[in-house]
Amino acid sequence: MTRSVYPGSYSRPTLRRLITPRGLEGASPATTAVSYGVVVVACLVTIGPFFYLLSSSLKPDASLFQYPPVWIPSHLYWGNYAHLLFHTEFLRWVANTFLVAGVVTCAKVLFDSMAGYAFAKMRFPFRNALFVVVLMTLMIPFSAILIPLFFIVRDLHLLNTYWALILPPLANPIGIFMMRTFIEGLPSDLENAARLDGASEFAIYWRLILPLVKPGLVVLAVFTFLIQYTSFLWPLVAVSSTNLEVVTVGLAGQSSISQVDYGIYSAGALMALVPITLVFLFLQRFFIAGSLAGALKQ
Amino acid sequence: MTAEENVQRVRPDAAAIECIEVSKRYGEVTALESFTLEIAQKELVVLLGPSGCGKSTLLKIIAGLEDASEGDIYIDGALVNYVTPKNRDVAMVFQNYALYPHLRVRDNIGFPLKMRRVKREDIRTRVAEVARLVELEDHLGKYPEHLSGGQRQRVALARAMIRNPVAFLMDEPLSNLDAQLRTQTRDELLRLHRRVERTTVYVTHDQVEAMTMADRIVVMRHGRIQQVGPPQEVYRRPANAFVATFVGSPQMNLFAGRLVGAEVERRFAGSALEVGLGHVRLDAPEGTELTLGVRPEDLQVVGDGEDVVAGVVEFVESVGADAYAHVVLADGSTCIVRTPGSMVLSDGERVRLGTHPDRVHFFDTDGVRIPMAA
Repeated sequence: MTRSVYPGSYSRPTLRRLITPRGLEGASPATTAVSYGVVVVACLVTIGPFFYLLSSSLKPDASLFQYPPVWIPSHLYWGNYAHLLFHTEFLRWVANTFLVAGVVTCAKVLFDSMAGYAFAKMRFPFRNALFVVVLMTLMIPFSAILIPLFFIVRDLHLLNTYWALILPPLANPIGIFMMRTFIEGLPSDLENAARLDGASEFAIYWRLILPLVKPGLVVLAVFTFLIQYTSFLWPLVAVSSTNLEVVTVGLAGQSSISQVDYGIYSAGALMALVPITLVFLFLQRFFIAGSLAGALKQ
Repeated sequence: MTAEENVQRVRPDAAAIECIEVSKRYGEVTALESFTLEIAQKELVVLLGPSGCGKSTLLKIIAGLEDASEGDIYIDGALVNYVTPKNRDVAMVFQNYALYPHLRVRDNIGFPLKMRRVKREDIRTRVAEVARLVELEDHLGKYPEHLSGGQRQRVALARAMIRNPVAFLMDEPLSNLDAQLRTQTRDELLRLHRRVERTTVYVTHDQVEAMTMADRIVVMRHGRIQQVGPPQEVYRRPANAFVATFVGSPQMNLFAGRLVGAEVERRFAGSALEVGLGHVRLDAPEGTELTLGVRPEDLQVVGDGEDVVAGVVEFVESVGADAYAHVVLADGSTCIVRTPGSMVLSDGERVRLGTHPDRVHFFDTDGVRIPMAA
């Protein structure tokens, strides 16, 4: 007997089994309904703003504040995108943002993993005290150091350079904390084995630790890249040249005291989302579960 | 150069490993206390003791992974206290294998040579040679996660063997294998040791491994050496009550009592049993409190008139060719008797047990063996 693929041909229990999410097997229909309800609400809350952004970006400025609001415009207006691409430095802003975020991410992944390795696996005087000091710097709000940081960068004659955008974020210690946690989880026998096999401390870090904490490195990279990509306050303060502006600052510059063009904002925000989404999708494949499989007898 | 040929490289006159008064303290805790031992070239020495007795700590100190608080370590005649692990010329096999999970088997095995900047061609040749020795030729392209426990163990062994070190240090290398594989791998290890003839320090808490593999056993407790000697000597002439009970399965039966009588009438009198010493001379005065030890195989179920102790069978453990009868004695204590598997004993059955004065051991109140002479 061949089974029809139409839902109508399934028995009620089979159908129920098929639509019941994993983990809810055996749950009552009410529980399943509530679970679906929560998921649907969460999806609407998440997707809603994106949809509004898309809708706004495809409407002329005049129809943005119509009441009742029109979610799906009858006529798609591409002027906001055209304005951004052909009458502003949008592509340059994106390039600047990528350059700064990319360099900061690479440098932070390298330095933070090195520092994390040292704090997690090496023995040196005042190790714990130093780590506490590093952690304490996390507790200082950025707004409190903004002005002193500005003076330092100014005195170093780095204002209005890429260095002004790249160097200060490198001092953020959150990555050291993350990498230390990841590396601490690796069994000491692995590095001891490598030590006996003749590996130097750097070789242990480079050839053993880094490949084994790849998921941690990717988490740090995505995290750092996102923070840099959306960073606004420091880039606004550190550079004034339009050639060095990043996306956030560039888009903010599109408003004037008398007028805010939300259509252009929406289009800019959506276009800015594309590269960061691509970066995330690219890095996502490196989230490999079980990177330690086979290393040690479980 | 094969592993066998390389044996000539080491200095034949110097001990492979020498520990002199080595101690290790972690704050208030003493892990190792005045450990002194000389291990000869090609010797297989087993460090045997319960968990926490300091045997793994000693191995790490020899390897250079831990610093000794006191004492000197010599490897192949050279003082290595301040020598880094990679320059000590010892290889270690870890309890949990410690294979590099992101490297294939061939790269795992060749890693020590790569770190020593050996030419790629030479590494390939040596890897093939060692892989053949441990029968891993067909698995060189696999990752560790795709290997069985026994195969992983052999990769760890091959990685240790590839650079022909002065000594192998093995930290409970079989403890993660199941019983059958364990016996099989133990035999393979022994064959390999005889083939490559390399000094091996082997840590285990399994006395069967120690008895079957060791040239000499070092029994340890609380960071101190209890006895050093060939397996049979440790088994037959335990230096103290701890060694007597730790080595041997089931463990030696111990009975508290005192020496009574004089000359030929001399005998051991305990609350549950009496043993005449006969021609055996014991260097202790009458009335001395002591402990008598007798192994389960040295107690026999005997007929009327020749017993030293009577008791009731509590239960019998059959292990195939033999059986172990747990017998409750008059004072409520229990002893274990090995009987032939063919002997039928029922729970609750009354039995009379006998032994021979030559087969018993005496320990003083501190647990130290009292010398006996015929």
